[in-house]
Amino acid sequence: MNRRDHLIGAGLCVAYVLLLVGTAPDLAMSRDESFYVHAAKSYATWVSQILSDPTLAFERESIDRAWAYNWEHPAWMKLSFAWSWLAQKHLALFPNESLAFRFPGMLTAGLLLWLIYAWGASVMRRQGALFAALAFALMPRVFYHSHLACFDIPIAFFITLTAYSYWRALADSRWVPFVGLAFGLALATKHNSWLLPGIFLVHFLWIRRDEARAARIDRSSIAWLPSMLIVGPLVLIGTWPWLWHDTWSRLLRYASFHLRHVHYTYEYLGISYFEPPLPVSVPFVMTLFTVSLTVLALSLLGLYHRRDALRAPWRLKLGDVTGRRTEVLWLGCMLAPMLAIALPTSPIFGGTKHWITAYPFLALFAGWGLVAIIERSELEAWAGLRWPSWAFAVLCLLPGAAETAHSHPFGLSHYTPIAGGVPGAADLGMNRQFWGFTTGSLATWISSKLSEGGSVWICDTTNGAWAMMQRDGLIPSNVGVASSMGSADFVLVHHEAHFNEVDYQAWVAYGSVQPVFVLRYDGVPIISVYENPIDTNRD
Amino acid sequence: MAEAGRKLSLAAWVWVLIAGLAVFELVAHPLIRAATPSDESWEAASAFVRARYQPTDRIVAAPSWADPIVRSHLGDLLSLRMAAPSHLAGIDRVWELSIRGASTRDEPPALEEDFAGVRVRMWPVSTDDVLYDFVEEVEHAEVELVAGDGSKFCPWVSARPAPGGLGRGPMTPKERFVCDSRRPWLWVGATVMPDLELRPRRCIWQHPAGTEPVRVTFLDAPLGERLVIRGGIDYNGERRRNHGPVTLRVWIDDRLAGELVHHDGDGWSGIDIDTSELALERAEVRFETTAQDPTARLFCWSASTLQGAGEE
Repeated sequence: MNRRDHLIGAGLCVAYVLLLVGTAPDLAMSRDESFYVHAAKSYATWVSQILSDPTLAFERESIDRAWAYNWEHPAWMKLSFAWSWLAQKHLALFPNESLAFRFPGMLTAGLLLWLIYAWGASVMRRQGALFAALAFALMPRVFYHSHLACFDIPIAFFITLTAYSYWRALADSRWVPFVGLAFGLALATKHNSWLLPGIFLVHFLWIRRDEARAARIDRSSIAWLPSMLIVGPLVLIGTWPWLWHDTWSRLLRYASFHLRHVHYTYEYLGISYFEPPLPVSVPFVMTLFTVSLTVLALSLLGLYHRRDALRAPWRLKLGDVTGRRTEVLWLGCMLAPMLAIALPTSPIFGGTKHWITAYPFLALFAGWGLVAIIERSELEAWAGLRWPSWAFAVLCLLPGAAETAHSHPFGLSHYTPIAGGVPGAADLGMNRQFWGFTTGSLATWISSKLSEGGSVWICDTTNGAWAMMQRDGLIPSNVGVASSMGSADFVLVHHEAHFNEVDYQAWVAYGSVQPVFVLRYDGVPIISVYENPIDTNRD
Repeated sequence: MAEAGRKLSLAAWVWVLIAGLAVFELVAHPLIRAATPSDESWEAASAFVRARYQPTDRIVAAPSWADPIVRSHLGDLLSLRMAAPSHLAGIDRVWELSIRGASTRDEPPALEEDFAGVRVRMWPVSTDDVLYDFVEEVEHAEVELVAGDGSKFCPWVSARPAPGGLGRGPMTPKERFVCDSRRPWLWVGATVMPDLELRPRRCIWQHPAGTEPVRVTFLDAPLGERLVIRGGIDYNGERRRNHGPVTLRVWIDDRLAGELVHHDGDGWSGIDIDTSELALERAEVRFETTAQDPTARLFCWSASTLQGAGEE
């Protein structure tokens, strides 16, 4: 790793953020984003109060008033959204308000590419590292989530950062404080981070066993653990004012919320699951169906290529060279989130975002796979040139690039060819979407139909997401949200299996089963729009 | 050397395999998209069906996820009863608009046309004639809430429908019998309910009030050879399988003619009552719902009197 590598990493970061900024206007806000936007505004009010009246701001009543909303999630990213929004208010940095909230999340996506490249380049040839970063960037669902003012890509970044810091700390004690700091930021981003100490402990015991078998005198230090256990919670609490009072009871409330999380209804292979157990295969089949097959094959090849680095400690002999077991760490970070979702007792989530933290490591193994195939097939030696290996890398990235380009702005509806694409996944009975953000793809249609104003019953879209579309100029301000189907000019029905009941409600409300418009993606219905027969004089 | 050559060869094969996978993905992706039928195909197929449509025809989509597209083209021809059938009686022909080789029936059709990816097929079907559809006639019924020795008639009113939304149950129609304003779920009227398989069912909402019946009486219903009754509980309630049964008792001229006890998990199911031996052309038919515990018993039923000897 040298300065050039960081320039490449920074280039990846900037280019990806610019790509995300450029494509964000196509994506309406999702349900969860609208909640976090509301929270960020509330927190921003408190931040402003610190500047205007710090004594009052730090009183319990002020803190609770500002921070009680959305206590289910830690504050770090929402605080970032708040700062970004404040910057927008005062400096007008962004072309629209939604981008102000989304920018911090996009930045973590860019930084994650940099980190994947940097870590990859530390252990493999640059070609593999660059491939890993781009393979991650060009996963359709990663690309979708990278746009959002949510926590899924940020937590993937902070988990990877913590793992990287831990890995560095094993060889260089100067990194020990950074392990705690990174872990603290991960804790302060999302609860996926709770898995990390367990993964690191297993990895650490593995390398200590290696060292014992090899009779090494100098053993790896466990200093990272107290750093994580002390600095981590301090960062979590320090960045989350809601925890500053009743700390223990609120921490328990937060933990309890996620340990006893409500079950979402999630369609998988033709069955709408609404209570555990979700089939163990879900994270693996969803990964197969949503990540480029070429990248997956390269990941498996990378795992096979590095099998010696994954060998069990008892296979080491006295005097063997030991290392940091990077691949064991990567494998743990890749499998743990998927296995956590696969557990029969886990709450029903389903969406790939819940194990998206696995994908940076999947991409890194794909990088190893690419390196392996280039080196083993002696591609460069055979041709006497370097470009064939680069051409091969580009060829392996192209499917992901093409699929990602086509997935936008229907990222959650997209499925790869192995699933038969979007229509094939519909045949198989796979989840088609969630969060109601696809309403953004109807903005032009709605605006043209309701040019004189009106109201829309917005189904799975939240009022906050709709209001953001209005502030962004996608929906006219005189087209409001109807509180009931009967009072709406149009009713939207987002197609998910368990939303069929909403479809039937619209039939009865309007006495008709005929949608006036069906938004489709690759021929598959995404949203049906019904028109109120009482007032049809709009065109 | 031989070993090195063998390894080189294996690696080369893996290279070819990975490159082949990439090419497969790159080619498959546009091919899948290209196989999507165009709007013109759907319009041509729909026009073909529309030109031959008769009111006793049913129109279906295959695969079922294409149903919204079919309804967007031909939905004006579909009544709620045809779009959300309780049973298949009263249907003379089935039209199927299908894509991707999907089909709803195995037997060869009487007619088949292809419109650039949208296949139209038609089957004549032999079903009973519907003499009387209680769901469509519910407005003319009498509805009572029985309490103790007496009963209270529920008026037919035009009231505010439900707002709609996920988990809110079947839509409350604007016009319905309202039995108790303090218990807003105690209404009776025609709606469409998602059954346990999330399929639509046109039916009469008759939520039980408890052990004392909610009573719906059709004073002068034509009887045929059979009285076909189907019922179920709203998807959200029935899928959890954690509540007690609902009983629907059917009385013909004050004689108990049949009883449907619906347990969670039964799905859309029912009973057929042979009325041919009653030798009645018309009768008073009464439907009573009861439940030990009416909590979350969003029960909905349909009934028709049938004449004929259909095969389906």
